[in-house]
Amino acid sequence: MNDAAVMAGSREIIVDEVFPHTLDVIWKTLTTPATMGRWIKMAPTGFEPKVGARFTYQTTPAGEWNGVIQCQVLEVIPNERLVYAWKGGHEGNVGYGSRLDTVVTFTLAAVENGTRLRLVHSGFMLPRNETAFKGMSEGWKGVIQRIDAVSSEQD
Amino acid sequence: MIEVPAITAVMRTLADPTRRAVFERIVGSDEITVVELTRGSGVTQGAISQHLKSLKLAGLVAERPQGRKVYYRAEPEGLAPLVDWMDHYALFWRDRFANLRTLLREIDP
Repeated sequence: MNDAAVMAGSREIIVDEVFPHTLDVIWKTLTTPATMGRWIKMAPTGFEPKVGARFTYQTTPAGEWNGVIQCQVLEVIPNERLVYAWKGGHEGNVGYGSRLDTVVTFTLAAVENGTRLRLVHSGFMLPRNETAFKGMSEGWKGVIQRIDAVSSEQD
Repeated sequence: MIEVPAITAVMRTLADPTRRAVFERIVGSDEITVVELTRGSGVTQGAISQHLKSLKLAGLVAERPQGRKVYYRAEPEGLAPLVDWMDHYALFWRDRFANLRTLLREIDP
């Protein structure tokens, strides 16, 4: 299940899936730097599952932004909830690489056949983080939306 | 750095309807082979291979050889020049959840 919810001035991404593993296994995978790097595909530098801990991810730079995502742990409830700030970008960019001040929340819940993991990535501000498509044809937006729709159907 | 040439390369690559259809099928699968992509596509395996080559060059697709087969998967980051943060992360997290599922299967069979 994937949704993009619309709130006043800000939007969020939600991915919500059930995994056939225990809470404990999922929690360790989400909070151990070595395994985080293996599924997020960016190794966190300085991560600790402690409120206040600051860490970074290195991703693709854009314009004047060096591609460093600055994170800070905001909430830790073992086997239940992990929340961290996810900031990056630069004022000089539009679309990818623009200023980004968001929060990532993982919520875990035991269900009959495993664990339900819900990710909410919130705080995408409009129009600041809005489309980089300005000046491009509507056709291209359609391509991305179709790709998005096709991949949603598989979930 | 995101520059105009990267955007042009991605746009040019996806401008071809057949190639775009191939890419969308890859996006819609976890991993897929040339044979599976050819099936029902209405074009030859050679043509599909050419499209895969272009998609790879544009950074939209990655390959993983295993034995005599090659598995293709989408690289959502390849679309970065075309999308905003929100689109970027919508694809990013969906892709990462798939990675997480695979990783969990490995460490907790």
